[in-house]
Amino acid sequence: MHVKKRIYYKLAFFLIIISICGLSLLAQTFESIKSQVKVHTLKNGMKFIVLERHDAPVVSFHVYADVGSANESYGITGISHLLEHMAFKGTEIVGTKDFKEEAQALKELDALYEQIKIEKAKPEPDAEKIKAMEEKFEILRKKAKEYVVTNEYFNMTMREGDRGVNAYTNFDATQYINSLPSNKLEFWMAMTSDRFLNPIFREFYKERDVVMEERRLGLETRPMGRLIEDFLATTFKAHPYHHHVIGHMSDLQSITRKDVEEYFKTFYGPSNLTAGIVGDVKAEEVFKLAEEYFGRIPSGPKPEQIRTREPEQWGERRVTVSTISQPVIIVGYHRPGVRHNDNAALEALANIIGQGRSSRLYRVLVIEKKVAVLTVGLTGFPGQKFPHLIAIYAVPSRGHTSAECLELINEEIEKIKKESVTPDELIKFKRNAIKSIMNQMKSNASMARLLTYAEVVLGGIDDAFDRVKEIEAVTADDVKRVAEKYLVKKNRTIGEIIPEK
Amino acid sequence: MRKTKKTLKNTQALVLLLAVLLCVNSVFAQKSPKDKFIFPPLNPIKMPTIEKVELANGLKLFLVEDHEYPTIDIRAMVHTGSVFELPSKIGLASITGQVLRTGGTTTMTGDEIDKELETMAASIETSIGRVSGMITVSILKEDVDRVLEILADILMNPAFREDKIKLAKVLENTAISRRNDDIGQIAFREFEKLIYGKDSPYSNQPEYATVDAITRQDIVDFYNTFFYPDNTIVAVWGDFNSKEMESKIKTHLGKWEQAQVSIPQAAEVAYEYKYTVNFINKPDVNQSHILIGHIGGLRKNPDFPALSVMNRILSFDRMFNKIRTDEGLAYSVWGSYGANYQVPGVFSSGAQTKSESTVYAIELMLKEMKRITKEEVSDDELAKAKEQDLNSYVFNFDSRSKIVNRLMTYDFFGYPMNFMEKVKEGVEKVTKADVLRVAKKYLHPDKVQILVVGKKEDFDKPLSSLGTVNVMDISIPPPPKKE
Repeated sequence: MHVKKRIYYKLAFFLIIISICGLSLLAQTFESIKSQVKVHTLKNGMKFIVLERHDAPVVSFHVYADVGSANESYGITGISHLLEHMAFKGTEIVGTKDFKEEAQALKELDALYEQIKIEKAKPEPDAEKIKAMEEKFEILRKKAKEYVVTNEYFNMTMREGDRGVNAYTNFDATQYINSLPSNKLEFWMAMTSDRFLNPIFREFYKERDVVMEERRLGLETRPMGRLIEDFLATTFKAHPYHHHVIGHMSDLQSITRKDVEEYFKTFYGPSNLTAGIVGDVKAEEVFKLAEEYFGRIPSGPKPEQIRTREPEQWGERRVTVSTISQPVIIVGYHRPGVRHNDNAALEALANIIGQGRSSRLYRVLVIEKKVAVLTVGLTGFPGQKFPHLIAIYAVPSRGHTSAECLELINEEIEKIKKESVTPDELIKFKRNAIKSIMNQMKSNASMARLLTYAEVVLGGIDDAFDRVKEIEAVTADDVKRVAEKYLVKKNRTIGEIIPEK
Repeated sequence: MRKTKKTLKNTQALVLLLAVLLCVNSVFAQKSPKDKFIFPPLNPIKMPTIEKVELANGLKLFLVEDHEYPTIDIRAMVHTGSVFELPSKIGLASITGQVLRTGGTTTMTGDEIDKELETMAASIETSIGRVSGMITVSILKEDVDRVLEILADILMNPAFREDKIKLAKVLENTAISRRNDDIGQIAFREFEKLIYGKDSPYSNQPEYATVDAITRQDIVDFYNTFFYPDNTIVAVWGDFNSKEMESKIKTHLGKWEQAQVSIPQAAEVAYEYKYTVNFINKPDVNQSHILIGHIGGLRKNPDFPALSVMNRILSFDRMFNKIRTDEGLAYSVWGSYGANYQVPGVFSSGAQTKSESTVYAIELMLKEMKRITKEEVSDDELAKAKEQDLNSYVFNFDSRSKIVNRLMTYDFFGYPMNFMEKVKEGVEKVTKADVLRVAKKYLHPDKVQILVVGKKEDFDKPLSSLGTVNVMDISIPPPPKKE
């Protein structure tokens, strides 16, 4: 086992911005943290990043699986997120009363499900036959359920004092989190390595129902949910950011347990996993245990990169959602991924245009003209790894319309292309950017997340350095240049909620 | 029910057997998740020194040093709240809280403050909620003097400029116009009205007419009634020396004049237990939002530790396992007896389920509620709930901001400083009999109020199968006609 210490470049880049802003105190803080971050890669490719922090006897864990809804194809949309749910169902050891018997019951259940699927796909399905099979399916499902120890994964980890057990899936990644008293490091190692070594996706068909409820809750009953789904589908015609993380209802209804197992095999190899561990632990101890526990996971090939790229847009696109709701407008422009040279300038642009009370849109649309109650400029939407969007959204005030908002948004966009941003605006961006990163470093859990993100998304050493240089160099001219380059009509999509009575 | 216990015993036996087998067969040094872990002793919790100071003008300070990052944070609580609004001026507290900050001071406009703070990456925000006012400040250390100066200016010399009052009313009226857009927002708001009463200060909501009626003088009066140093508690944490910070705050806020305000007594909650079934029609959704419950209680209730153990069991082992995991009926589901510091909380169980399983889900939720009031929980459920609580207790001390904010909150609501420790001691002692006793005493499953927001045409059974349905009207009263 060899433990490599290395400079943490994501942190190094902060130092440079800080020097611009004269925040020497912050620089010292980051310098000292940077020197404490340790990284170790197992032979199977899984990476462990550790930051020791001995203030309180607790530790946070963050496992970053480099797979999100962007890795999905037609027919299995929503599977990344569904797999995340299934990863709480236990293993051959956790969650079962008798795995051997259970495995047999699950096999029978899956086989019958396949038969039902085949029958349903026939041009003239036999309704009687389907009904009979479905009745049998329910019996088999209940039989398999008898072997299950319900929610045992949750129970075991929460019983040991886990205050942060959860997971989330987005367009780029699937992330699993735990926070435990720090003397329970080995328990986490045992539980989590087992989780990724021998997962059993039991209670699959009921959990799929839960995810469908989640879709109804987050997307279908909410006007904003409906808008976001249709807006992305319009903005990305080819790239898989086209479909929402939650997946299409028809896909959720047809994904099988076998699909999820295949997906797991493809994307949960150790080389696709990165763990961030921050808290009252010793790095050497973490690496030693990681070798023992996670070293057991056989290595596999790195999954293939996504092939589809979003082609250049041929003209402004519009999409509307009609619903019983007040209006909302969102305007999105294509931009390259987070590791592109223009990233820092684009972040500055989003900040100056639409973040805070002194931002341009808030000043004009909310404070002066009172046509909106909220304006937001954002980037990193819907993901960051691949080319995505710099977007603006506005919530019209009572009696005002999206059209009025759009007119003023257009004016402000033209203005920022013609006139330079002010030095104060640039300082505001830089200082707030640093502060927000620093805030993410305050808790063990958010620090663990930040470390894995920096490692996976910001990539290798050289790339991270390039990013440093970019940010250091952001000038008023850069902001103007990226505004001219990306904020053009042909490159945008406008989405609106149209109120229905 | 005996059957359940038996199954559980079998489970334990199997689990044990499995663990033993795996232990023996294990070729590697690794432990299986089910092996017995002998945990090394937990490193001790380091309690930070918390300075508690009261300035001559009555302003109370809690200070704690935290030198990890060069930042300073402040959070202050003021005794005030929307419970003190006149029914004809609902919205006054919220607007006062907003314009205190946005309306600027006698020397600076709100816009000037916005720009200066944002350029320093600092923030000062003020707001007024149901029973307290809140001020939050976030500062990079090097700007501390200037930000404190602005903070003191805002608290002591607010200008409440007309243009920002107008803006605040636009924001408030827009919120009214949008309040029926989201099904979850509708459900929680209307449920609160069912519990506290339609006209109660604990569930009142602004209307166009009440917002319209608010004048600048009302705002100034509201501010003058409550915003005094001897009515305020401040917590400060971050990269400073406590003595120095105390003197800085003295410099800036020592001049703030006290007034020995006597805060009027907030209205009592008079609750009458009754069984009701209520419905709000939302024709364009495919999922129902269900809330079931009645009035809850206060944290200072000596039964609070037993109730919190019961909550864990009812929410997780019962509702979550049954409604979500076993039946796949909902993504989020819970059942919990709410206890607040000052105003009785709400006992509620909630879930969102597809229209077609609405009544079935309600029946299951009621069944679980009844079960916990009828029979003792299992040994395993009790042990689990207590261990979850006690083993994660250390997380109450994992950040200094958490510690200092907790102490400030206890002081604000008149709770003992060792309240959390007392609750912990209580939890340690909770027995199965205690859980049953408090469930029987505080939960009344036969006298719950049920609210469903959804599309009734698609329900599995008519809601009337649960009782007489009260259809609630949530249409928004139009604004008063301008003469």
